[in-house]
Amino acid sequence: MRRVATALALVAVSYPLVIAHSTAVVAVGAAALLVCVLGILVATHVLVGGMVLALVEYTLALWISGGPPRPAGAVCLGVVLLLLLEAAEFGRRAHGTALGPGVVPAQIRSWVLFGSITGMVALLASAAANAVSFAVRLPWAPAVAAAGAAVALVGVALALSARRSFSRD
Amino acid sequence: MRLTPLALSVVTLGAWGLVLGVLSGRAELAIVVMPLLLGLLRIGRARAHPDWSLCRALSATRVFEGERVAVTVTVNATEPVPLLELFDPLPPSLRLVAGHNRGLFTLDRGRPVEWRYEVECVRRGRVSLGAVQASLWSRAGLEAAATSADAPAEIRVYPRPLPLRRLPGPRRMQAFVGNYVAPSVGEGLEPGDIRAFAPGDRVRHVNWRASLRFHELFVTRYHQERNADIVLMLDTLTEAGTPPATTLDASIRAAAALATGYLARKDRVGLIEYCGPFRWVRPGSGRAHHERLFEALLGADVMFSYVTQEVALVPRRILPPQALVIAISPLLDARFEKALVDLAARGFDLMVLSPSPIALVRSARRSAAADLACRLWALERRMRAAALQRLGMTIVDWDPDQPLEAALGASRASRRRAVAR
Repeated sequence: MRRVATALALVAVSYPLVIAHSTAVVAVGAAALLVCVLGILVATHVLVGGMVLALVEYTLALWISGGPPRPAGAVCLGVVLLLLLEAAEFGRRAHGTALGPGVVPAQIRSWVLFGSITGMVALLASAAANAVSFAVRLPWAPAVAAAGAAVALVGVALALSARRSFSRD
Repeated sequence: MRLTPLALSVVTLGAWGLVLGVLSGRAELAIVVMPLLLGLLRIGRARAHPDWSLCRALSATRVFEGERVAVTVTVNATEPVPLLELFDPLPPSLRLVAGHNRGLFTLDRGRPVEWRYEVECVRRGRVSLGAVQASLWSRAGLEAAATSADAPAEIRVYPRPLPLRRLPGPRRMQAFVGNYVAPSVGEGLEPGDIRAFAPGDRVRHVNWRASLRFHELFVTRYHQERNADIVLMLDTLTEAGTPPATTLDASIRAAAALATGYLARKDRVGLIEYCGPFRWVRPGSGRAHHERLFEALLGADVMFSYVTQEVALVPRRILPPQALVIAISPLLDARFEKALVDLAARGFDLMVLSPSPIALVRSARRSAAADLACRLWALERRMRAAALQRLGMTIVDWDPDQPLEAALGASRASRRRAVAR
């Protein structure tokens, strides 16, 4: 399972190079890959650090290329990042463990199914957002986006903390 | 179910994506984090307490040290369980040799899953395998619940008897038939002397060669074949070294070997455990008694005590006067030495088998100072052994890394000299 996670990390780090092949992107990508592989072997927190570096690399590539938006590639990258996180965690749990029959196939089935559904939902949502942005022109668009992101984050954090306190009860 | 750190990692990654998206003004970063945040929607969908059970089966419950036991755990569920992680913690006296004692399973309704691993029993004792720790994970790994399942099982690990072909012979015999050639004559197989025929002698005992030479009937007399009482006296006051190679472990293996050897010769073997107060097994013979002795050795362990009992308190039926007493002790505690002196003063045929703690300590600590200390210690031990030898005891200094047979073989000559005196 660690090999699968490493392959996913390689995909996540390589995609920004397709967008913009510059020295800075390659350098950040190499660092991201190194930290990701270390994280796959050592701990999830390190892996998250590597994935954040991969996001920085992606941002840098987008900024350098400056082309039109690529929603399909972004959705694929998001799904790859999610699967990378889950595969690395599963790999850590399965390492040095007797695996029962059907554990790995069931896990892979679940990832494929969830990845496809999530990808499709994300694509649809981005298409809807695109259509809405064409129909409704908002003033101060970056400020509204930042406020929306902040509200989304706070909402997720609140939902998680509520869930955690519920499970403690 | 509680949230795992993975959920926090997903949120952290999502936050970073949104922040980078706002800073760069690119919509793609918001789209990238969308699958991550959608993944969090799976939280709360897994069942907290699915109905599952397990049972543990052992290939053997009574083994000797060094033998292997296969542990088979069968897990059953009445409803599907996405991911069940099981961990069977092993006590220090068991060592995993094949398979894993941690397992990850997906359970379907009514379809049992079997999990097998092998352990090696490294030290004697009653080994309990207790509760199996379990973690129920959601398929995504975002939630988990910890629980445990009781599956009590016990393995009795008996001391491994060391190979022994020749045993120290006792000086005095008992009245029952055994394997030793006694000095007294009577019924037996070993020819003794000859004497003139007397009415009542059996014709088959007539020594025809002597009779023809002296023109008078002579009969052959035979040595009786008798058994002996052996009492193994085990010092459990203290020990040196680290398990499973302490002086007590070596002593118990030697006691097991001696008990097995003497019982095979039809001798009566008893056991006295001296741990301050006495604990004993009355001398006896036979297979049932062999098991009784091994059960006693199984539970023998160092017990800290300020109590010092006199040897005089041990009843005669436990310590018969004609018995060969084999004391097995590293000679680290003065109380045991006092008991030995007491036994020697009472005229017991006494032999001391002393597993040396010096080699164990030397192998554990390698330094010039430790080496010097060990040399001084060896000199002191030799001096004390000489003092005990002067009281008529046979002292056998035994390095537990060397075969017991060799150590006992060296003692045979000194015991023969003592008999001759």
